[in-house]
Amino acid sequence: MKLTTKNRFDIAMGLIAPFVLLGLLVSNPAAAREPFTAAELAEQEKALLTVVDHGRDLWHGTLPSMSTNGLACGNCHPDAAASNPQTFPKYQANLGKVIAIRDMINWCIMAPQMGKALDVNGDDMIAMEAYTTYMHRGIKIEPGLATKQTSAIVVKSGPGFPKKGSGIGYDK
Amino acid sequence: MTDFNNMTRRDFFTITGKAGLATMVASAVGANFGMVQVAEAAVGKGKVTPFRFAILTDAHLFSQADHKFDAMLEKAVNDCNNMKPLPDFVLYCGDIAQNGTDDQLQKGKRILSKLKMPLKVIPGEHDWYLDMGAAWRGHFGSPTWSFDHKGVHFIGMNSILVKDFWTPAGMTAKQRMDTMEMLESPIAGPWGVQAEQLDWLKKDVKNLKPDTPVVVFTHSPLWDYYPRWNFQTSDAPEIRDILKKFERVMSFHGHVHQTLYNKIGNMGSVGTLSTSWPWPYPDVKLAYPDHQMYRSDPGNIEDGEGSQYIDLESNFTAMHHYQPFGDMLTPAMKNGFKV
Repeated sequence: MKLTTKNRFDIAMGLIAPFVLLGLLVSNPAAAREPFTAAELAEQEKALLTVVDHGRDLWHGTLPSMSTNGLACGNCHPDAAASNPQTFPKYQANLGKVIAIRDMINWCIMAPQMGKALDVNGDDMIAMEAYTTYMHRGIKIEPGLATKQTSAIVVKSGPGFPKKGSGIGYDK
Repeated sequence: MTDFNNMTRRDFFTITGKAGLATMVASAVGANFGMVQVAEAAVGKGKVTPFRFAILTDAHLFSQADHKFDAMLEKAVNDCNNMKPLPDFVLYCGDIAQNGTDDQLQKGKRILSKLKMPLKVIPGEHDWYLDMGAAWRGHFGSPTWSFDHKGVHFIGMNSILVKDFWTPAGMTAKQRMDTMEMLESPIAGPWGVQAEQLDWLKKDVKNLKPDTPVVVFTHSPLWDYYPRWNFQTSDAPEIRDILKKFERVMSFHGHVHQTLYNKIGNMGSVGTLSTSWPWPYPDVKLAYPDHQMYRSDPGNIEDGEGSQYIDLESNFTAMHHYQPFGDMLTPAMKNGFKV
């Protein structure tokens, strides 16, 4: 067989490729990285739950600018039920386009609550997303239109996430 | 609206005097409806004269003028007034107010006064915990009552009573109300009718025959649906036990803001549509899933709300009809369903 330039290239690639793949496996941080220490994980969890807790407060009306008619997210979505974060992004019929959960949150603030929308890149919006997502942990992600009111996780007591009750708004 | 709850003692004796004191049967405040149906005060199987009654509930009115919930309650009142035939009376299943303030209760009373027919009211937690029912009682009278109408014994009770959690915690009245307003934060624990009303209920039905048609109204369901949101009444088992001697009992309740049906023993239990907002269904396997309404359209502020009416037949069967503002009924509910 006469070796053309293309053939030479193909042979070279066939010889090199296994070594390249092996190199990627060895150097891939996801495969090789040491797990976080228990202390690091606890710190990360604490940071997350602090944001979730802030989201729960906002969800229940602690930021006056989010409502001008007294309504809070918690009125229609106790325990974040029927907020369906696992179905976003999806086509939202009342808005006529595909939107993310943060767009739906802002729609609810502006329409039913007649309030001022949150900065989509701000900490408050991240907290709102953190709360509703955390309350749907373990539920299958299914982007698309929810055809029925879906439930959040079942909460026996407490705020729905690890937190020691400390005052009004929290269970014992 | 005839304000039966605030009827004075003198009014009562005037009415019953004209009608004959035979109306005074097994009822703590049965005087309220003595004037509605005097001759048929005695209840029992086969003695039901077919009639209709309607239920409105959970308006959650805010103090703000021209709040959208005001218009929703007014719409439901208009729906009742335009029914053919008209309901004999309207029952309000609690939570007129959102924050329990006197102005909110006054607003509700003013809107409900446009009803063409008599009104009976029981309280919800949003009406009660700012002043422990003082304003509510001033407007609507006793939260515990019964009356007989066209052969049926009707009972109303206050099912949102909790033990004192606020005194040990040093809470203000506003803090107590705030705590009770939050659906998923039952700091107070499960609520119920408590011992005094259980004793009252025992006495109220003591002399009624087992074939007496009985209808009971409470704010919360008389079964253990989802305690987390107080979709329950803690002493419902005791209530059902007191009422188990009857061949059939119908229970209607507010609080859940959704279509709902269940049956336990001799008691059929029906949830009611609010005029404010729909609550989602919790993650509970329902015995009658066909009675779960479609998901509400968030773009339609009226979807998932409405009123309901019940047509009682002579054999004490009932057809329950939801009257939603939007289109959210499954085929099982579309043309009414038997309770």
